[in-house]
Order: sequence, then structure tokens, then C-alpha cells
Amino acid sequence: MTAFDVVMQQIVNGLVLGSFYALVALGYTMIFGVIKLLNFAHGDLYMVGGFVGFLVLSAISGITGGGWTGVAISMFLSMIAVGCLGVVIERVAYHPMLRAPRLSILITALAVSLVLQNTVLSITHGQYTAFGADFGFGGVNLGNVFITYNQMILVGIAAFLMIGLEVFVSRTQYGRAMRAVAIDKDMCQLMGINVSGVIAVTFLIGSALAAAAGTLAGAYYGSVWYFMGFLIGLKAFTAAVIGGIGSIPGAMLGGLILGFLEAFGTQLPGIGSEWKDVFSFAVLILVLVFKPTGLLGKSEQERM
Amino acid sequence: MQTLKLLTAAGLIGLAAMGSGAIAQETMQIGVQVPTTGSEATYGQDMINAVQIAVDEINAEGGLLGQQVSLVTGDTACDPQQSVNAASRLVSANVVGVVGGYCSGATLPTLQIYGDANIPFIIAAANSTQLIPENPGNAFMINSTGADQAAKAVEFLSAQGAATLTIVNQGDAYSQDLATLASEDWTAAGNEVVSIETVNKGEQDYSAIVTKIRSTNPDAVFWTAYYADGGLLIRQLRQSGYQGIIAVGDGSNSPQLFDIAGQAAEGVFAFSNPTADFLPQAASFTETYQEDYGNAPGPYAPLAYDGMKLLGWAIAEAGSTDADAIIEVLRSADGQEWLAGPISFTDVNTLARSNFIVLKGEGGAWTRADE
Amino acid sequence: MTSNSNGAVPTHGLGPFLQDARLRWVVAIAILAFLVVAPMIFGSYITVILTNALLYVVLCLGLNIVVGYAGLLDLGYAAFFAVGAYTIGVLTIQFGFNFWVAFPFAVLAAVLAGVIIGGPTLRLRSDYLAIVTLGFGEIVRFSARNLEITGRASGISGIQDPSLFGWQIRTQTDYYYVFVVLAIIAVIASFRLANSRLGRAWLYVRHDEDAAEAMGINRVQVKLAAYVIGAIFGAVGGAFFAANLGAISPESFSFEQSVLVLMAVILGGMGKIPGVILGAFIIILGPELLRDLGEFRLLVFAVGLLLIMLFRPSGIWPGRRGA
Repeated sequence: MTAFDVVMQQIVNGLVLGSFYALVALGYTMIFGVIKLLNFAHGDLYMVGGFVGFLVLSAISGITGGGWTGVAISMFLSMIAVGCLGVVIERVAYHPMLRAPRLSILITALAVSLVLQNTVLSITHGQYTAFGADFGFGGVNLGNVFITYNQMILVGIAAFLMIGLEVFVSRTQYGRAMRAVAIDKDMCQLMGINVSGVIAVTFLIGSALAAAAGTLAGAYYGSVWYFMGFLIGLKAFTAAVIGGIGSIPGAMLGGLILGFLEAFGTQLPGIGSEWKDVFSFAVLILVLVFKPTGLLGKSEQERM
Repeated sequence: MQTLKLLTAAGLIGLAAMGSGAIAQETMQIGVQVPTTGSEATYGQDMINAVQIAVDEINAEGGLLGQQVSLVTGDTACDPQQSVNAASRLVSANVVGVVGGYCSGATLPTLQIYGDANIPFIIAAANSTQLIPENPGNAFMINSTGADQAAKAVEFLSAQGAATLTIVNQGDAYSQDLATLASEDWTAAGNEVVSIETVNKGEQDYSAIVTKIRSTNPDAVFWTAYYADGGLLIRQLRQSGYQGIIAVGDGSNSPQLFDIAGQAAEGVFAFSNPTADFLPQAASFTETYQEDYGNAPGPYAPLAYDGMKLLGWAIAEAGSTDADAIIEVLRSADGQEWLAGPISFTDVNTLARSNFIVLKGEGGAWTRADE
Repeated sequence: MTSNSNGAVPTHGLGPFLQDARLRWVVAIAILAFLVVAPMIFGSYITVILTNALLYVVLCLGLNIVVGYAGLLDLGYAAFFAVGAYTIGVLTIQFGFNFWVAFPFAVLAAVLAGVIIGGPTLRLRSDYLAIVTLGFGEIVRFSARNLEITGRASGISGIQDPSLFGWQIRTQTDYYYVFVVLAIIAVIASFRLANSRLGRAWLYVRHDEDAAEAMGINRVQVKLAAYVIGAIFGAVGGAFFAANLGAISPESFSFEQSVLVLMAVILGGMGKIPGVILGAFIIILGPELLRDLGEFRLLVFAVGLLLIMLFRPSGIWPGRRGA
């Protein structure tokens, strides 16, 4: 492989990884937007999404096979199931806390994360579960750069979901309400907007996106595990902040940037895989020092 | 006032409940110290399952010294602080001996606790060389240290004609140690180490490392950590079109590697104790495990099983639960054949042999590659 | 964080009760007496757990200064804990220092770490602060894992037990009493800080940064002071933690550790010293009480946490003034 091929291949890698980060980061950012909560359980919804997708695929693969048709159906059902789970979590655990100090609700989110993780741990006894999707390794060679069909489909689905979300938020009435709630909840209440409803829809969509990412990750990488949401949750949080938390395009951008940083950090001599996370975090801190609201975030006064 | 009373009462009841772990029982209590929560629970559960199978067998044969054996679990969560708590809890439950020890970092600070309490401790998995100087003399390591495995790996891969090697570890004590040792041996043998890579547990996407490996194209890749992440790496390496030799360490010798890596695991070499289907008694163990728990035994299941059986044997030989007598018997273990091979100890209580064998993935299972 | 404000005095519960100064002393002395005799009554296991809880009291009070007093969200507090532990480990093992000679360096390193983490982040909003501190925590842990001098992933072992004026600290009970003393010092220091000029400045900055600045409070200095003092608490805890365990490795300084300390602080009642102490005890004792549940223990514990937060959203300890 020439240096050019390596760079191109790492761009592809960064794009795939970044798509996952972006999908999860979107939920983070949306939920933060409407209720100013860092939803630490979000990574675990990704994990639950992976498991639900696995269950659905196991049930239907006799009919559809383990190919993309089956995975697409599993992903869709997983999005619905986990979207509803997200709404339930919001109703049970976050809604009563909306008037509580902001850090208290953070702890609630951490507790929800522990509950989800340990529930799945107890059910699976900590085992890794092979996903059973069956894609084959086919792909296209562009010179020495190899792109699998799976990678293309994956990035395509991610892009489709993100564009769909952008359209929803900018064009529909619910989307407008969502943006309004993000700016001033109390005023929206006075204006007759169903704030609770908007929050519920936000959780539904955010959780569904995480579930989509979880199912896709399970299918693409081949296995699911009770702890798989932890690391990606942290990474998605990082991505959302780099992009500017609360900003939807920011989450997409942040996800991709983080994906590229990790891919190139691994490749670069002097950093390598051992130091790549230190490298990403260092870049993050530098970004925030020079642009304290993230790349696309808006500045805003706050009181804790 | 109400709140305070309630809190105080709850606190005192709590402490009393915690202290009451030591109620005298008719059964003989054995401690199991492994992570059952947190990110390492996968392997801890696996070890407990194996120990339980050993205990069931012991009890079916009439128990030890006429008593039935029961287990007390000490969850370490792979965290040094929590493992100290767990160890103290086991001590206060008056266990006769302890089996376990998965994460070296979490095992280290417990050595002194069992030492002070004079309780025999069979360390089934943890094998960092740092454990050796901290051992007060009551602990016995039945997993070979990384040095033997590194030597075997270098010998075998050289014989396969490899000259350049990339080593990938997971940034934990065990796999990093093995990676460093293998790298030193490989260089000493006159070969070239292209790079040592580190991944994070649970990362899932190893494509950046895979691309880096493809760009330097070493003759062989050696994965020194566990099967779950190893399976993903192997899958992604083969998907990318890497054609060289892939070898894995004993943390990846589980049959579950084939579930996760699928087709890509064909032709992969593993360095391992002689486990699973390569000893007659192991076949029935694997079968029992599969029946009881619904999945194949993990990498340290045979060692955990052996640890329990060895402790049981030592108690029976000693004819009492006296710690000094048990430790004396263990020290004189004479190379009797166990599931994972013969056990006898050096004078620092480490396993006195290296009998690593080489396995090869064929048709979704391991076969011997060095016979 | 202002829902409890406006000086509303609860009409029941602990608030009015503990406002009686005499009763407060009685309770404090009773607790102290209990702590002194506990190892003699309860045996080694409880002693170990209580030692752990006391270490957490020190850590939580340290984080409380950053989060509770100054209102700065910190998700990487384990970094300070690590700095203290590793300074002791590296200096005693690699350089042959005595524990007490290394100790001031641990404190110094913490001050430095506090300035490094605090410096670039003071302009940030709390959510950004959260990720930056998290990032610093991870950088410290990854560095400990990658560097030769910190023993890489295996960490450092063989750290000697210190002796103090001829008293060789060695057994679990010895360390228990060391941590009792440390916790008492931390409590006294916290009280004094809260009522100091600096403490009032923190309160002011927390409630209204701009107004505080207009009143002549140097915002940057005051916030930096919170980080530095919080870091010192963490490092002192870390130093004795290293001596107690005799071995340290990166696993002790993970993100989960930072989260647990933060949980304890908020659970008990941020900014309120008795609350923070209570939180530390709950976070340590809770999972221990549930040990018999095996793999379910964290699940049950988490559900418990959730219920506590739902019923007492501002933390368990009742609030008096706006905190």
C-alpha cells in the first residue's frame, strides 16, 4: 500500500467509525437540547438496541436470512422497541426530576445506565452473543483501497437517518416545537406547546437512533455484549461536545471528526494505537480552549 | 429526628448483617474470588461456573472430610479496592481456602490479606510476575507465567517461516506483559517486531489498526489478549484481505472465538495449555459445562476447575482444614495430571512446567497443530 | 442547583434538630466514639469496609469543594486520586524515597494537576467542563497505563508501609485509624473552608458569577483555588490508599471511580458536609451489603440509587441554605 492508499483507507475507516459515533451522539445532543441532561444511559440504549436487534434477527432469520433484509427489519423493530424504552425511562426516571438540581438528574441517568447494564449482565451472564448476521466480505477495490459493500450500506443508512432527522427537526411542526423547547421551556408552556409531548418525542427519536446504531454495530462487527455501550457512550459524548452540544449538525460533525482523529491517531508514528485516545482528548481540550462552545455550538449564559 | 433514627437503625442493622457472614455451618466453605460485575464479568462468571462443576463433583463423591462443600463468592469487579473488600469478606466467612484471581492488579493487594489470615489461595488465572515477590507463601499460581508462552510463540512462529511480527494487546496487565515478553524474545531470535499495538477492551472497531497492519504487512500477527475482542480483530483482519499468519494467546483459546470470528478463525493458531478435547477427562468437562450453562467454557474455565479440584485434593490429603497442613500438601504437589496438565510448584509457588501446545482453528473447532 | 434555595427551613427531618448546636456536638462525639471502637466490635471485614468508606469520605469532601462549593462539574476526579497514589508509588519504588519524604511531592503534584486542569477550563460552561475533566481523567489513566515509569498496565507493587513517630503502620486496623484521622481532618478543613472568606466567595461565584466579579471577587483565582484544594484532598487520599494496598494499577483510577465519588457527593446532598459523608458511606456500604446477590448486586444497588434520587432529588441530607 502506498502512503496515499493508507490515507484513503483510513478515511474510509474514520467515516464508518464516525458514522456510529454520530448516530449515538445525535441522541445525546437532542436530549441535551430539550432538557439539558447529559444522558449517561444513552450508550446503554445502544447496547439494548443491539440485543433487541439480535433477538429479532434470530427470530426472523429463518424467513429472511441473515442478510441486509433481515438486519434492516431487525433494526426497524429495535428502533421502535428501544425508542419506547427511552420514553418510559424519561417518564419514570427523568420526568419527576426536571425541577430538581441539574446534577441530581445526572446521577439518575448514571443509575439508569447501571440498571440497564446489569440487567443485561444478569440475563446473559456476561456472555458475548454472536449476532448471526451473514454478510460475506465482498466489496469494491479502488486501487489498493478496499471498501466493503457493508461499509457502504452502513454509511448510507447512517446518512439517511441523519438527513431524515435534520428534515424532521427543520421542516415539521414537531421539529419546530423541539427547537422552541430547547430555547425556553417555560415560554413554550405558556404558548400552549405540549412540552411533555415534545420531550417524549425527543427521547423516542434519540433512543431509536441509538438502537439503530446498536443493531448495525452488532450486525457489522458480529457480536453484542452487555458492556458494549460504555465506551461508545463516552466517545459519543465527546463527539457531541466537540461539535457543540445541543447542535444536531454539530453532533454529526463531531462524530466524524472523532472517527478521523482515532483512525489517523492510530496510524501516525509517535502516537499509535496506544496513545490515540490521549491524542483525541487532547484535541478536544484544545478545541474547547479556543472555542469554548464547541465547533458549531451557540454561546449561552447559564446558572448552575 | 425520625430520619436520623431511621438512618442509624438502618446503618446498624446493615453492619450487623455484614458481620454475620461467619455463622457456623455444617458445610465447608470455599471462597471464589473473581469479578462477577463490571466489564470483566464475562470471564469471572466463566470461572465460577467451572468451580461450581468441580464442587458438584466433589460433593457427589461425598464431599471433603465428610462435609459437603459450598461456595462463597467474592466479587472483585476487577478493581483493587473492591477485591480487598471481597477478600476480607471471604476471610471473615471463615473459608478454608480460596480459588480464583483473574485480574492481576486486583489480585495483588489480596495476597497480604490471605497471608495474614493464613488461608491457602489457589490463583487460577492471574499470572503477572509481580505477584511472585508479594506472595507470603500461602498462594499458588497454577497458570503459567507469560514467559513460557512467549517462548513457545516465538519458537512456533519462527518455524512457520515468519520473520516480521505485529503484536496486538489490550492494555491490561496480562496481555501487555505477554506482548512485551513476546516482543523481547522475537527480537532476541533475530527477527523484526514491526509494531506493538494496543486496543481498548470493547472498542469493536479495529479497522484503523487493521489498515496499519495491512500497510506494513508483517508475516504474522500475534493477539495476546482475550477471545471476545480477539474474535473481532481476526474478523476484521481477514475481511480487509490480510493473508499472513494470525496467532492468539491462551486468553483466546475458548471455542467461543469461533462464534465471534466465524469463518475468519479458520487457520488461526492458538497457544494453550492442553485443554478441551485434548485430554480424555476434559471432554466430559466441556460437555458438562455446555449442558449446565448453555455455552462453551471460556479460557480459564479448566484452570478454575483444576484450582478447585487441587484444593479439594490438598484438603483431603492433609486430612484437616488446618491451613499449614494444606499448604504443605500443595507445596509438595507431585505433578499429578489435572484437566489442564500436571501440577507441581517451584519454590516460589509458581507452576513448575511449561507445556504449551499449539492449536489450529479448523472447521469451527480447535485441533492440534504441533503433532 | 438552586431548587432548595431561599433559606426555606424544612419543618421536619434533621434540619431543625441539628441546628441545635449542643445536640450536634453530642451526635458528632457519638459518631467519633463509634468509629474508635468499631474495629474492636466488628472484626476485620467491617474494618476494611469502613476504611474504604473513610477513604471515600476524604475523596468526596474533596470533590465537594469543586462541585458543591464552587459549582464546577468534575467527571475526572480520579485523576487527582491517581496523581497522589502514583507520586508515592513512583518516588518510593523507583527513586527509593521514604513515604513521608514523598508525601509533600504528592501534594505538590496535586497542586500542579489542579492548576493544569483548572487553568484552561475556567471559561467553560459546566457541560463542557464535564467533558474536559473527563478527558483529563482519561489522559492520566492512559498515561499511567502506557508509561514505563508508572509500571504500565501492571502498575506499581511493593509499596512499603510507612511508620509514624516509631509507630509502624501495617495492619488493617492501623490503616483504619489512619483514615479515621484523615477523614476528621478533611471534615474540619471542609467546615473551615465553607465558613472562610474563600468559602463565601465560592458561594457568591456559584450563584452569580457576574455579580461576584462586579463585587471585586477574582473569579479565576477563586475557581482555581477550588480545583487545587480539591486536588489536594484527592491526592492525600491517594497517597495513603497506595500505602494501604501496597500496589496500585490503572484499574483503580477509571472513569467509574470518578463517577462513584460524584454519585456519593450528589446522593448525600451536594455542599452539605454531613450529607456528603453519608453519601460516601452509602456508596461503599451499599454494594457490600448486597454481596450475597452475586451478579445482581449492582442491579439492586442501582435501583436503590434511583429510588433515593426520585424521592429526595436534592440529596438525602435536608438543605438549609441555598446549596
